[in-house]
Amino acid sequence: MGALKRFRVLATSLVALLAVACGSGGGGGDETQAGPATLRFSWWGNAERAELMQKAIDLFQSKNPDIKVTPSFQEFEAYWQKMATETAGGNAPDVLQMDFAYIREYADRNALYDLKKQEGKNLELGDLLTGLKGAGEIDGKLYGVPTGGNTWGYIYSPALFAQAGVEEPKEGWTWDDYRAAVKAIAEKTGVSGGGNYVGSYYNLELQLRQEGKLLYTEDGELGFDKARLKEFMQEGKDLADAKTVLPIEKGVQIKPAHALEQNLVAGDLGWDNFMARYAKGNPGLKLGPVPTDESGTSGQYLKPSMLLSVSQKSEHPAAAAKLVSFMVNDPEVGKIFGANRGLPPTNAQRAAAQLEGPLAAVAAYEDELKDEFGKTPPAPPKGAGTLEQAFIRITEELQYGRISVDEAVEQFFTEAEETLGS
Amino acid sequence: MSRATIAPDRRAEVAVDRGPGPRRRTRLPGDGLAGYLFLSPWIIGIVLLTLGPMATSLYLSFTDYDLFNTPTWIGLENYQRMFTDARWLRSVQVTAIYVALAVPIKLVAALAVAMLLNSKRAGQGFYRAAFYGPSLIGGSVGVAIVWKMMFSDDSVVDQLLLRFGIDTGGWAGNPDFSLMMLVLLATWQLGAPMVIFLAGLKQVPRELYEAAEVDGAGRARRFWSITLPMISPVLFFNLLLETINAFQVFTSAYVVGGPNGQPAGSTLFYTIYLFDRGFGDYRMGYASAMAWMLLLGVGLVTVFLFRTARGWVFYSGDSGDKR
Repeated sequence: MGALKRFRVLATSLVALLAVACGSGGGGGDETQAGPATLRFSWWGNAERAELMQKAIDLFQSKNPDIKVTPSFQEFEAYWQKMATETAGGNAPDVLQMDFAYIREYADRNALYDLKKQEGKNLELGDLLTGLKGAGEIDGKLYGVPTGGNTWGYIYSPALFAQAGVEEPKEGWTWDDYRAAVKAIAEKTGVSGGGNYVGSYYNLELQLRQEGKLLYTEDGELGFDKARLKEFMQEGKDLADAKTVLPIEKGVQIKPAHALEQNLVAGDLGWDNFMARYAKGNPGLKLGPVPTDESGTSGQYLKPSMLLSVSQKSEHPAAAAKLVSFMVNDPEVGKIFGANRGLPPTNAQRAAAQLEGPLAAVAAYEDELKDEFGKTPPAPPKGAGTLEQAFIRITEELQYGRISVDEAVEQFFTEAEETLGS
Repeated sequence: MSRATIAPDRRAEVAVDRGPGPRRRTRLPGDGLAGYLFLSPWIIGIVLLTLGPMATSLYLSFTDYDLFNTPTWIGLENYQRMFTDARWLRSVQVTAIYVALAVPIKLVAALAVAMLLNSKRAGQGFYRAAFYGPSLIGGSVGVAIVWKMMFSDDSVVDQLLLRFGIDTGGWAGNPDFSLMMLVLLATWQLGAPMVIFLAGLKQVPRELYEAAEVDGAGRARRFWSITLPMISPVLFFNLLLETINAFQVFTSAYVVGGPNGQPAGSTLFYTIYLFDRGFGDYRMGYASAMAWMLLLGVGLVTVFLFRTARGWVFYSGDSGDKR
């Protein structure tokens, strides 16, 4: 029996067996016709998002009384562990929250439904922001619809810049300017100038994009070579050795908090919508331009912060598409979530969301950059999630001084070969 | 289907199965059946939830399986790959060091506490509960979080050590200390072995101590010559149990170090790496192979412990104990 040939965690094995035993019914009929249905909807997040989500679901149910939605949620890591097991067991939820790093993984494995079939019928996509259009498309099929977008930016504390007598970052500042600022602030204020940027995969991506390259090519290969990675890692290593950036011991200990929340650094590169979170511990923060050595291009793009996908196995694709469409388009939903899922994905929702304080700043920041955004990169290849983890792990060992720059580069490429090659 | 309808069916089958042949050993036909029927929840449970998954994981350990597609047979490749996998080797090393440190330290502490609590004094019940408490909540995520906070920079432990002029910069972020932090967490949860030690200590006949005292034996001498040999079976039991447990440490390590065994891989336990390979990288075949290697490793250590036990574990019977 096929189902038995699969490994499952004890608790899920029975459930999965039952699912296989009774799952083969359904189907048939016109799949764009939404009838009465019960949808399972899984997402990652916390209690705060759960509350908002429930409000949105209640609203959906009141407008679509024949569709019932049962939600479930986990923290991000646990979510993906559970999702993998459920999908393998043929027991995936109808609608699921999807991350950009995993979408190809799931699409390639035939786990996701092609939403193109519902477009214009149960799914409206016309109002999506320009940068987000087509973000969930892979090989001509639509596997996910973004529910929010954000971009890489520089979040900093103007107070610390002033205290050190360093000019605040302005359009066109270079990576050398960045390093000089970090150094000056650390020396004059005693607060670390910034985070060690080699620890973040997206800083590498940013630099590559500024040079007109990609992190992953269209064919799913690495978009850089060993020499380029070595250069990047050396930059970070030099910063760490000079002790002008946050020591790694500190960064590891305060996890999952960020150094900016605790006022341990003057600024750091990161996703712009995180500013709202940091601002709770550090209200004076501002958003500034990212450093670039190539004038005229910042390398930034609008990244889908999270997407909604429908399972290939869902028995109610039409109803599921309706739910997805509602979550993305309904102005009320935009009002409910605000920027909880990243800034809202459609013009209507963005207009309806009453963004205040730091979130208004984020929205203004994105608005200003609107015309400069580059093309959103293709969905990362299968294994990208694993590789990002490897990158974090290896750069961490580098910063601890447990491995050399050359060893770090070698390790990453070995890992990439194993992960992307298979 | 209700149980009542199953029973007669089964009975008929059994009768048919017997077929012709000698019937000397027959008992009443319903006898065994009723027994098995009562056992059936357990039998179904062990087949579906234990034996089934075990057999499946053994099969999967010889395959390349990503959870989504059908497993493909690759023979011993998973097993061979482990020995060239730097992270696997590190996880073995981390786990071995942990077992070698945590088990003895915890057992010594448990025995010491048990001996303290063995004497009669006021508030004894309270102290026993207080020492046992941590092991009740021990596996929980919350405790591990608190533990990590306690050992972070500028926290309780760091402040205390600084008073003695020792600056570690916080154990949680220092790869040289992070493992020790988990060893201490394990030690703090000494309740279970302590209770077993306590029971063992109660069994040691008072007369032996009295006789020894008359002969002029001091405290240390009494401990080495009476207490230790008399409780050696209990000690062995605890040693075995704790060793097996220590090999499988997971929750606390996962909370403190995450799937990468932070900081810098210093808490990359075997189970953490196994979990990460399976559910992080979707390499279930490899993870299954790792699980079987762990079973083999724990098995070997257990056999080794049993071998050495012959030399130092004394069972009652020759000691004049009544039972």
